[in-house]
Amino acid sequence: MTFLNDEFNIVIIGGGFFGCSLAIHLKKKNERILVVEMEDDILLRASYANQARVHNGYHYPRSILTALRSRVNFPRFAEDYADCIFKDFDQYYAIGRKFSKVSANQFRTFMERIGAEITPAPKRIRDLINPGLIEEIFSVKEYAFDAVKLREKLKRELQQAGVDLLLNTQVSRVEGLPDRKIILYCKDFSGNLNTDVITATRVYNCTYSHINQVLADSRLPVIPLKHEVTEMALLELPEELQDIGITVMCGPFFSFMPFPPLAVHTLSHVRYTPHHFWFDKQGDYLDPYRFFERLPRKSNAMYMLKDAQRFIPALGKARHLDSIWEVKTILPQSEVDDSRPILLKKNHGLPGLTCIMGGKIDNIYDVFEELEGEFR
Amino acid sequence: MTTSDCFVSVVAPLKNDEKIVTDFMEEVVEILKTNFSNYELIMVDDGSDDKTVSLVEEKLKIFECIRLVRLSRHFGEEVAISAGLDSAIGDFIVVMMPNNDPPFAIPEMVSLCRNGTAGIVTGVRGHREKEPFWSRIGADLFYWYTKRVLDMNLPKNSTQFRVLSRQAVNAITQVRDQYRYIRLISNFIGYSQIEYTYEPINRSGKKQRRGFWQSINMAADIVIANSAHPLRVVSVLGLIAGLLNLLYITYVVLIFLFKAQVAEGWTTTNFQSALMFFFIFVILTVLSEYVGRILNEARRRPLYYIFDEKNSSVMLADAERRNVVEE
Repeated sequence: MTFLNDEFNIVIIGGGFFGCSLAIHLKKKNERILVVEMEDDILLRASYANQARVHNGYHYPRSILTALRSRVNFPRFAEDYADCIFKDFDQYYAIGRKFSKVSANQFRTFMERIGAEITPAPKRIRDLINPGLIEEIFSVKEYAFDAVKLREKLKRELQQAGVDLLLNTQVSRVEGLPDRKIILYCKDFSGNLNTDVITATRVYNCTYSHINQVLADSRLPVIPLKHEVTEMALLELPEELQDIGITVMCGPFFSFMPFPPLAVHTLSHVRYTPHHFWFDKQGDYLDPYRFFERLPRKSNAMYMLKDAQRFIPALGKARHLDSIWEVKTILPQSEVDDSRPILLKKNHGLPGLTCIMGGKIDNIYDVFEELEGEFR
Repeated sequence: MTTSDCFVSVVAPLKNDEKIVTDFMEEVVEILKTNFSNYELIMVDDGSDDKTVSLVEEKLKIFECIRLVRLSRHFGEEVAISAGLDSAIGDFIVVMMPNNDPPFAIPEMVSLCRNGTAGIVTGVRGHREKEPFWSRIGADLFYWYTKRVLDMNLPKNSTQFRVLSRQAVNAITQVRDQYRYIRLISNFIGYSQIEYTYEPINRSGKKQRRGFWQSINMAADIVIANSAHPLRVVSVLGLIAGLLNLLYITYVVLIFLFKAQVAEGWTTTNFQSALMFFFIFVILTVLSEYVGRILNEARRRPLYYIFDEKNSSVMLADAERRNVVEE
């Protein structure tokens, strides 16, 4: 399929969850929409390689705004993507006794205030934890999503809506035209390196880690972002931990929960999941994915497990199967206040070019809200 | 030497150690790297107000597997070590003082702990000759008292330098006494101990010795926090004083009954009350010590507060980064 010299109302760069959902959302009011993805399928990078957590506020006991926002988005997401939600496990939040930034009491009070369900965990679960290191453990309502089912669903919806999809293609550069339209130069990865040229009225840059790649190559202002190389360990767990997920808050702790696409558990650790980091600065930009491919990968899974089994001794019986590595991109300011704001820059360097980035999957509704009124 | 496959954590408390911290970290990391396949070095900053923290942060960018835990203020060496033990994840945990303990001894001590059945290997100072007379006598007295009277088997001349098995650390971290003396707690939890004799170093070259009052205070803290023996001595004293009083009262009554004329009795009265007051004050002193201790334990405050935790994040050096930049 080629769209050489074709013209679209909207081109969305990046076929992740945000890019695809936005395409479907915008298709209701727009004629021709194209999604350009560099991989050979959609939702292959950060949309897949994450903890698969559908947030319901519990994760942000120190930021009432973020927590409330999650509470609002949670039921909506659970309903809209009901067939992609994995509910067959019990989720627990434990509060560390030492090194934690919140106490069990503060945590419970906070969750009650924002109206999030929280009850003390049953004895079976209490017996699993080391009370010397965990002050309290609560039973909560939180789900996981299945990124593979999400991929299939979005693919179906893209097709039904009539959104065009261009895979194995990278937008290398964008340029403004005198008539306020935008011209996109594309690289084709599927063998022959021919260059496509596409024109669009509006362009949405939803490429997450790659957001600055288009900007830097087009000589547009680079957004200050922080990139981290992250590792999630994939675990085979002993029977008593099979159908549960436990997140230990709120400090240098860890979290394990089911990863539905592979039917295993993921373990991530605040201290050991991030391996390297770097910042994007004006004039000092490098392609995060290409950089990431060349970095050495020395697994920290053993460290994660050594620490985690002090809290939950049964994790000593866990088997490390493999690790999922990915680049995680965050706005530097979110490091300070623990909130996960979305990045949304309209007319960034070019009229009609919008850059969008969110930290977690249900931020999609915040994006829709922010873009409300743009098309009328 | 082949690297051994066990995971070793090293915990080192820091307090205004800007002069030695860099050398110490370099030396320890070198030793760990060549001897163990997995390790971590946990530096616990106990409220330093010099450049210690920024020097450690520098090293976090260069060396892997270093962690910096910062306490919110100065809590004392023993509490800082506890904070380190609380977050160490290794199979064997080495506790050491950056200024005095030689890193080259780590592999030997770890293998002692590993090969033996001992849960704890305790570092013991080779000799005490350089110390003043009063300090040696005082120490002898203290060790005699703790061993014979209090039945605490405190290894003589033991230092902070020690290796603890995971089992031992798990037991130690359950003890949340406010007055902590890790040397004693490691003894309290049981498990067999081996002594390891070594010659302490003095990295900073500064003269450092515990003062007279500091030694007295520490001895008092250790004894009172770990034993009710002084209270028992006081009880006995009180009992004797009571008995003496009883005898005296009998004497007074007998005199009153059988002597026609009772003398003024000024001397005896004064002597008696003075003696009784002496006992009462001694008793009150010791009681107040214990009441104070009960108060502290009853408050159940957290042992320490963490200000910050930072970990090694070895950013690829700029040169390396440039190499990767495409085209």
